[in-house]
Order: sequence, then C-alpha cells, then structure tokens
Amino acid sequence: MRVLLIEDDELIAHGILAGLRAHGLTVDGVRTAAHAEAALSAAHCDVVILDLGLPDEDGMRLLQRLRAKGMTLPVLILTARDAVQDRVAGLRAGADDYLLKPFDLDELVARLQALLRRAAGRSVDVITHGPLRLDPASGEVSLHGRAVALSRRELALLAALLHAGGRILSPDQLKDSLYDFSEEIESNALNVHIHHLRRKLGADVIETVRGVGYRFSAGKA
Amino acid sequence: MTLRLRLLLMIGISMILMWGAVALWMLHGLDKEMQRTLDQRLAMSAHMVAGLMSQNPAAWDGRTGKAGPSTLSMPVAAKGLACQVSMRGEVIARTPGATPESLATAALGFSERELRGEHWRSYTLETNGLRVTTADRLTERDTLLRNVTVAAATPFVAALVGSLLVLWFGVGSGLLPLERLRQVLASRTPDALTPIPDKPMSRDLLPLVNTLNHLLGRMSETISRERRFTSDAAHELRTPLTAIKTHLQVARITQGTDAEVAMDYAEEGVARLQHTLSQLLTLSQVEGAFSWEDGSVADANEVARLAMRDAVPHALERITLDSDGIRAELALPQALAVTALRNLLDNALRHSPSANSVRLEIRRSPETISFHVFDRGPGLSDDELALATQRFWRRGSGRGSGLGLSIVAAIAERFGGLFELLQRSDGGLEVRLTLPCMVGSVGEDFKHVLVPSKGSKMPTWPAK
Repeated sequence: MRVLLIEDDELIAHGILAGLRAHGLTVDGVRTAAHAEAALSAAHCDVVILDLGLPDEDGMRLLQRLRAKGMTLPVLILTARDAVQDRVAGLRAGADDYLLKPFDLDELVARLQALLRRAAGRSVDVITHGPLRLDPASGEVSLHGRAVALSRRELALLAALLHAGGRILSPDQLKDSLYDFSEEIESNALNVHIHHLRRKLGADVIETVRGVGYRFSAGKA
Repeated sequence: MTLRLRLLLMIGISMILMWGAVALWMLHGLDKEMQRTLDQRLAMSAHMVAGLMSQNPAAWDGRTGKAGPSTLSMPVAAKGLACQVSMRGEVIARTPGATPESLATAALGFSERELRGEHWRSYTLETNGLRVTTADRLTERDTLLRNVTVAAATPFVAALVGSLLVLWFGVGSGLLPLERLRQVLASRTPDALTPIPDKPMSRDLLPLVNTLNHLLGRMSETISRERRFTSDAAHELRTPLTAIKTHLQVARITQGTDAEVAMDYAEEGVARLQHTLSQLLTLSQVEGAFSWEDGSVADANEVARLAMRDAVPHALERITLDSDGIRAELALPQALAVTALRNLLDNALRHSPSANSVRLEIRRSPETISFHVFDRGPGLSDDELALATQRFWRRGSGRGSGLGLSIVAAIAERFGGLFELLQRSDGGLEVRLTLPCMVGSVGEDFKHVLVPSKGSKMPTWPAK
C-alpha cells in the first residue's frame, strides 16, 4: 500500500513517515499543496493523509479542488481542529475519514487499511483467495493453512495484486506500490520480488501478461 | 424588599406623617374654637336671663316679700345647659337638675368645678342685685367635640386610604417597563449575549437598555476572543504533542538507529512544547495583573547583553550591537525587557539567512530608549505586517510559537511603550521597540514610572 502524506510540520511528518514505514507501508511525504498535486499526478498512490493547515493553501480547499478534478482516492484528514463543524466540513469536502492529533500510530494504520479495504469494495480486512489468505494488518500470509514468511516488499507486492482483483497492473504501478520517491530502484528489482513470490506461493500465482504487466491469477493459487 | 413596596412605604409614610400633623393642628384649632364658642354661649345665656329678669322686677320682687323662699322653675334652655338666678344669696329661679349648692357659690366670670362626680364649666354674672349663673357639663362638651372630630376625620381617613391604594397601583404601573425589562432579562439563557431589543421598551429605559447592550457587546467580543485564543492555544499545544507521541510510538516499534532518531525527534518536540507553554505563560502574565517588580534595575546595555545571550548563546557574532555607549535605565522590569528584546532577535535571526548578521541599535531620547533590530530576511507584505502581532500567526510554516511578537506588543502596551514593524526599502525588516526610561533617581520614581501611562497608545497596524 502506497500512502501520500501531506503535512507541513516537519517534526510530525518525520514521525508519521517513520511510523508508517515501520508498519510496512510505502509512504511519500510532501509539505505543500502544490507538491501534493505534483506527487499525485506523478505516481500512483492508494491513500492520502491530509493535514489541513498547509502553508500555501488550506487543506480543505485542496481536497475540494482534487475531488472536483475527479480524484477518487480515499483521503484521511489528520488535524488538530477538533470542533464538530470542522469534522463535518472535512467530511463534506470529500474526506473519507477524520483523525485528530495527537493520534495513535496503530489507529492511523488501521484506519488507512480500512479505507483501502472499503475502496476495494470489501468489508473484512483479511483477503482470502482460494487457499491463500492475507491479513494486511498483521502482515501474515498463509497457504493451505500453513504460514508463509514474506519480506516487506513481497508482502506489498502481493497486497497490491490482491487489491487489484483480476486487473492487470503495469510494472510501473507495481513499483509505485513498493517504493517511495526517496528510494533508488534497481531495474530488475520487481522481477526479483515476483520470482520470490512465485517460489513461495506457487509458480502460477502471478500471471505475466506479455507487454502489459502482471495480474493475480484467479482461482489457481 | 421590592422597589414597588419600598416606594409605597416611602411615599405612604411621609404622606401619613404630613397629613397626620395637619390633622392634629386642625383638631387643636377646632378644640380651642369650640371651647370659645361654648363659653360664649354660656355668657350670652347668662346675659339674656339677667336682661329678662331685670325688665320685670315685680314678678319676683313681690313674691319674695310674702311667700318666702321659693324657687321659680325655668324651662330647659338648651341641652345640658343649666341656669340659676339668685338674689342676696337666695335662689329665685333655676333650671331643673341644677342643685342649689351647685352653682350659687360660684365666683364671677368663668370657672370650673366638680359636683357629684361631674365636671361643670360655669359663668356667673351679677347685675342689679341679681346673680345669674349658667353652666354646662364638660363631658357633653367632649362628646360634642368627638362627634365633630369623627365627622371631619372620616372623609379624611377615607381619602388617605384611597390615595394609598392609588399609589400602590400607580407605582406598580409606573414600574411596569422595568418589570418587563426584568422579565426579558430573566428569560435569557446565561450565554445569550445578543442585544436586548429596544423596540417595546419605555423611552425612560432606553439609556439603560443601550448601556446594557453596549456592555453585552463588549462581553461577547471578549468571550469570543478568549474562546478563539483557547482553541488556538489548544491547537498549538496539540502539534508538538502529536510529534512527541508519534516519535515515541516509532521508537517503541523500531530498533537501533531508527529508535534513537525517533527519541531525538521526540525530545525536539518536548522542547517545542515547553517553549510554547512558557511563551503562553509569559503572555498571560504580561496581559494579566501579575506583578513583575523584581526590584532589579534594567540597564539598557545589560538588557541587550542578556537578550543576545539568550537568543544565540553559541553564535553571538551573528548579532552586531551598536549602542554608542548609551547608559540608561528602563522603566520596566528587567526580565520583561529582556524577554521582549530576545523575541525580536529570535525572530530576526530566524528569518535571516544564516550567513548574514542581525544589527541591534540602541538609541536614546530624553524620555525613551528605543531598540532597533534590522534583519536581512525576506521582510513582510502589508497584509502580513497587519497580522504579525496576532497571536499564533506565523509566516508560512515558521517554526516559532507564533507568540513572540504578541508578547512584545503586550509588553509595550502594558508599560506605555511603542512597537513598530517597518518594511525597509532595501529589503529586510526594521523592528522598533521604544520603551520608557527612568527619569531622576531609581529609588523614588521607580514605582511611579512603572505604572503604565493611561494615555499611551499602540500604533495602528500595519505600520508603514
């Protein structure tokens, strides 16, 4: 899962970035509304965390503008404004969830996962596909009831493919789910991770669609 | 006690006292007049009897000679009036009921006596050997007087009771607008600060209603300002608190360098929280009634030295001090002067490129000392100049508490100083803090000068 964090306070942003990465999420952080728009158009992301007090534009207005442009990504507002009318205004402006500062890191992660899950149209957190079972919150994967140990990247790759259902994901989209802007990506890194996943879960779990990308192979796992 | 009852008692009691005194005065006059009239009646009756007797002496002269002592009975002249005629000690005529011993020995003129348990007033007249005495009972006189008094007092008392009743209702209806205002006020919720409608109010109450509305307006302004401040303050404290909490949680779930870095960040958050809290405390103390008189004398140069040391303890060379050797003592507590100047230097340093220095100039006029801080930062736009002293305002996402300049403005206002922000034409900002300085000796004038002058005015923002 790739998260875009829009937060102007450096100290808080550092904390959230470190905390979410420690929870196995891929996170990019931007400090202004302008950078946020640039980041959203540059790369795929799954969920946005938005602070309202941005230096160049009010976060609420940014959200309204993005929604008006047709952005459908789930957005979680993270703010110190706790008045009911602020929360109502935030949700009306197009936010999907609202979390007050100071917050609990675990809660933030759980809410992000819930947003993603709802965006994918599921109501339970655990993704089951045939004998394959993935719990995004704990990062546990099991095949035929036996636990399979996956690395952070492998887990993110599997989650991205499962979230997409049977859709084909391009290599770039998959890379966006695995790496944030600050990371150097080796050219064959994605292939390596796919190879490892196939080895651990079975060769036909990921189908290669030549010239287009990869997709989760329905019913074969 | 209600206003109505108090008014009624005041007016009622004074009315009763006044009219009572008038009544007593009248009764006294009436009594005297009646006694005089009744006395006149006695005397006239006596004269009339004497006149009648002397016109026909034969009627009683002859009879005395032959028949010996026998009395002539007279008809009753008037109710309660007795009459007796005697000649040489012998009673020759009397009204029934008048006893011989009763009236005969009376001296001439008016006199009062008690006979058989009754008080009499008599008048005796002697003419041509005839002695005529008329008398009446004092009890009858009293009865007469009482009847007259009752007849006169009944309408008087009725009028008094009537006017008290009219007064009760009159006062009540007179106070009706006040009562209506009371009901309007009583029906309001405690937090209702909207103006009282002046439409149905009596014209006499309009000044009161206007004053109340003015007061309500000021109160609602103060309350909304305080509410905004509280919410801003809560927001400001939440931000560093969030940073601390987040980094502590990161430190718990990570190991090694990551955990150490997180702890460092958490400490930075604590320092920021501490800074914001102490700035808030300073602001509330400067604006409140807190006494700052610590007894220490604030020498301008010492203030500058301490403020520079506090602002950049490790890079004093970033500040150039130009004081021309001025020696003057400021008329405000040293701690506050240092706080104000340090905030200005902090601000200037924060917005200046680190290679450039900040210049601090101290200038003196006869009554004031002014500190001028010049920085090489980006300066402020007109809009930003207007906002700069607002609490929690920061330029962009600045790192300060947003209270520094508010504190300086509050200190200047409290001690009759002047605080100005000026955009320099060659870039950067000039900040001027003018503070009153001590005149005369330290000892006596100290307290006097410390009191903020009432007439002191803050400049209107934005300062151009």
